[in-house]
Amino acid sequence: MTRVRKGGVAVMAAALVAVSACGGGDDDGGGGSGGDEVRLWLSGTDTPQELRDYLVETFEEETGATLVIEEQDWNGLVPRLQTALASEDQTPDLVEIGNTQSPTFTYAGAFADISDLYEEIGGEKLLPGFVEAGTVDDTVYAVPYYSGARAVFYRKDFFAAANVQVPTTLDEFAAAAVALQAANPAGKPNFSGFWFPGQDWYNGIAWIFSAGGDLAVQEGDQWVGALSSPESQAGLAQVQQLFSSATAAPRDADSEEPWIPFNNGESAMFSAPTWARWSIDLPECNKGVDPEDESAEAEALLAEQQACNEEKTGVFPLPGNQPGEAAAVFAGGSNIAIPAKSGNQELARDLMRIIFSAEYQTMLAENGLIPGNQDYAGALGDDVYAQAALAAGVDAKLTPAAEKWADVEGARILEDFFQEIASGTDPAEAAAEADQLISDTLN
Amino acid sequence: MSAPVRRRRPSAGRRLLGVLAVVVALVWVFPVYWMVSSAFLPTNRLRTAEPTFFPVDGTLSNFRRVFADPAFLDSFRVSLAVTALTLAAAILFAFVAALAISRFRFRGRKTFIVTILVVQMIPAEGLFISQYQLLDGWGLVNAVLGLTIVYVAAILPFTIWMLRGFVSGVPIELEEAAMVDGLSRTAAFFRITFPLLAPGLVASGVYGFLQAWNEYTLALVVMTDPGQRTVPLWLQGLVEANRATDWGVVMAGATLVTVPVIVFFLFVQRRMSAGLVAGAVKG
Amino acid sequence: MTAPRSPVPTAPVAPVAAPPVPVPRVPAVAPPEAPASRRKPLRSRLGPYLLLVPALVPIVVGLGYPLVRQFVISFQEFGLAQQFGRPAEWVGLQNYVELLGDSYVWGVIARSIAFCLVNAALTMVVGVALAVLMTKVGRAARITLQVGMLLAWGTPVLATMTVWQWLFDSQYGVVNWLLAEPLGMESMRYHSWLIEPLSFYGVATVIVVWMSVPFVVFTVYAGLLQVPEECMEAAQLDGANAWQRLWNLAIPMVKPVLFVVALLQIIWDLRVFTQIYVLQRAGAPTRETHLLGTYIYSLAKEFSMAGAMATIMLVITLGLTTFYIRRMLRQEEV
Repeated sequence: MTRVRKGGVAVMAAALVAVSACGGGDDDGGGGSGGDEVRLWLSGTDTPQELRDYLVETFEEETGATLVIEEQDWNGLVPRLQTALASEDQTPDLVEIGNTQSPTFTYAGAFADISDLYEEIGGEKLLPGFVEAGTVDDTVYAVPYYSGARAVFYRKDFFAAANVQVPTTLDEFAAAAVALQAANPAGKPNFSGFWFPGQDWYNGIAWIFSAGGDLAVQEGDQWVGALSSPESQAGLAQVQQLFSSATAAPRDADSEEPWIPFNNGESAMFSAPTWARWSIDLPECNKGVDPEDESAEAEALLAEQQACNEEKTGVFPLPGNQPGEAAAVFAGGSNIAIPAKSGNQELARDLMRIIFSAEYQTMLAENGLIPGNQDYAGALGDDVYAQAALAAGVDAKLTPAAEKWADVEGARILEDFFQEIASGTDPAEAAAEADQLISDTLN
Repeated sequence: MSAPVRRRRPSAGRRLLGVLAVVVALVWVFPVYWMVSSAFLPTNRLRTAEPTFFPVDGTLSNFRRVFADPAFLDSFRVSLAVTALTLAAAILFAFVAALAISRFRFRGRKTFIVTILVVQMIPAEGLFISQYQLLDGWGLVNAVLGLTIVYVAAILPFTIWMLRGFVSGVPIELEEAAMVDGLSRTAAFFRITFPLLAPGLVASGVYGFLQAWNEYTLALVVMTDPGQRTVPLWLQGLVEANRATDWGVVMAGATLVTVPVIVFFLFVQRRMSAGLVAGAVKG
Repeated sequence: MTAPRSPVPTAPVAPVAAPPVPVPRVPAVAPPEAPASRRKPLRSRLGPYLLLVPALVPIVVGLGYPLVRQFVISFQEFGLAQQFGRPAEWVGLQNYVELLGDSYVWGVIARSIAFCLVNAALTMVVGVALAVLMTKVGRAARITLQVGMLLAWGTPVLATMTVWQWLFDSQYGVVNWLLAEPLGMESMRYHSWLIEPLSFYGVATVIVVWMSVPFVVFTVYAGLLQVPEECMEAAQLDGANAWQRLWNLAIPMVKPVLFVVALLQIIWDLRVFTQIYVLQRAGAPTRETHLLGTYIYSLAKEFSMAGAMATIMLVITLGLTTFYIRRMLRQEEV
């Protein structure tokens, strides 16, 4: 027993030494401001490696300084920014931030004024909704990095079996969804014509936007909830119809992973960002390739599998009120800004110029992202996915650019509201309540 | 060991209780089993109309992909360092503090006891900002040592309380008897009481280990450098590694993260089963 | 109730097997209480304080200062903008008035207290029962149970919460499948567990108890191991049955540990966060299911409000536990 205990102490002591040494080493390396090193925080994995390499190389060529890219997870980004952006030693010099988080930090004074750079990096050509989310009183603080739009994915064979055509208006869409639901071409017990879970406001607000409604509007210096407006109510009536007769999706589910029931043959349509094409995996197409197998044979099989999936599924932008129009869907995406506390303001601006250069904007588009500067959206390509993304992206709309909009999302007011609609509550009643909550939160 | 006294004929009743214990263990472990089982399945079989209870035709691919991720071992190294340092400091400091408040009478003792209790009652969700600023001032952001300091502070009040409870559980008469035999108070404490505390130290140690190993919120803001991620941060990163989460890989990662916990426990659990007789005899 | 100093009716008897134990018979004379500190030299009087220093330093710096700051901020208007340098304005009790004047907040408080008491009680009952069970079974069964508990406790919450979410999923949940297929309850096949607050709290209780019981089991089991074998045997010789030995002997002896564990359960269950947060995100109506932990979090960008709410929670916790704390302090007097 004694021996054991001594052994334990020795282990602990060794750990202490090793770790203090390790901790000490980090101190000199810490920080990033000052010197010739610029740190860029990119969020999530949307920026492909090729683009990152380009930034690092070009930045070094043009400025002689080093660029370090640190990837941050979307989850937990807000607390990280709350702390790091306020620290002169720790702040990154350029940061990517979600578009709905953007007003909060912009109003708080976290970012440096880049109004003088605005014209140079694209001016009017920059996605206007995103610029608005990064602007306070005509001063620009954050500019659009990229946007991703939503599109509707559908099973061609189910459409054929139910004798349904690709809809060209929102009304036709609703009719198609109801017809598919009733026909249940897959013969599954819980089949959904359109996968529309109860809390899915990301997709649901497209009907509000397309009917001319909004979530909140500015009246003087106050924000008020706008779900009760006649336009919003018209959109919500359609939403409720979809909930009641076009979907079997649970009321207690959100917009996560809508391709799962689709892959299981339990829904004919779902709406998601266009990159969802890579998550479609129909059993009849699956070749059972080990995902880490990198042999040529495996890659050929995977290509075959993807081709099979894309042959059986189609994609279209959610249609608008008139044929040929796209609906005003919710635009996801991100902004980019220079933290006010960064000690490398000039170098950060140089990096900003590289990001908004024609080369880099084109590269973003080539990788399926709608670039911050609309002039380069043409590089998205001409396959159906790119076309759907582009059509949806042009008319896409953001959440209100209110200082405290993030608090509305944090309180999940819209999730609760759509769930009420899905549960059959009178839209006017539910909207009155939600409007009150939104107004209270925003002011 | 307590063997000669305890190990009588295992009666029928005792065997029945043994079966009950195993059944409870199986029920309790079911969600964890589901995690491990999912780790052997490709992601497209995780959520289907017919659940897969036994991954008989499973694959090791998810595990291989975890091991192929260089960040996996890096985060392990960071987490092991933080956990070992936190555990060593917390147990040592808490132990001497528990000794002070349970075996000495001094002015301010009660205040101390009540204070460390009350401290635990205050929700700590809003503390990370101040804690971050402290560490930032000392240049300890993105440093193992910095994270350790806040962890030790967070775990100490609990550990002191816990150990105090265990010290109080040892009848003071035992020590006093030894003092009558001429030992000093401190010597009596270490000779008589300390060995009896082994189970308590193990229980507190397991608690401290798990806290430091699985903590997410503070690590999230303190360790922003991708090279300094702890294991929970790495795991969260796996969720976002692809646009659509590959849950099979996440479950494989979580399974591997659990292994050190079990190893640590098996390493210390002998101290827990020893109990009083063994402790008193060998101490 | 028994005071901790004289807990044992049959004081430690001489060990049966008579090994070389430095534990002689208990002297009949009670030793002097508070060993005569007045006569000791200064060094010895400083002793206990020196022992506290290593613990006090990290607590004061790493926890004490942030807590005080949180309290101070609760009297200010302090949000994200203040974090970036805008001066904070003193608002007195306004944050408190705003919170306590909101009937919704009172609803959250009431729900939290009810949830906390139910969960803490369930956790304690199940935990103590399993700890006792552990002392009654053989080594193999015990280690099986211990490892099972440890797995539930030690597996990353991210993974276990995801699994629980899957288990109770409306469409693909294993729980619904089990109810529908082997048990034939077809109406449960697509049951929504999270949509009704009561059902939501039921699921949350299952998960919270599942996660909290292991801690209770480990700690109480460790406490039970401290009960001297000799006492138990002496009591057995005196004719006490197993139940009496447990209830009259073992439980009183582990009272300090039980007390600490119960108190902690109340503290932790009142501020339960992760389980509620994840379940809300899995599809529950948020506003109807908020408990104090998640509600504070939803205020988190208003640091001053969160600070005020934290103070209110402290008061509630103290209210719930005063009885125990005072009883404990009285025991300390002895």
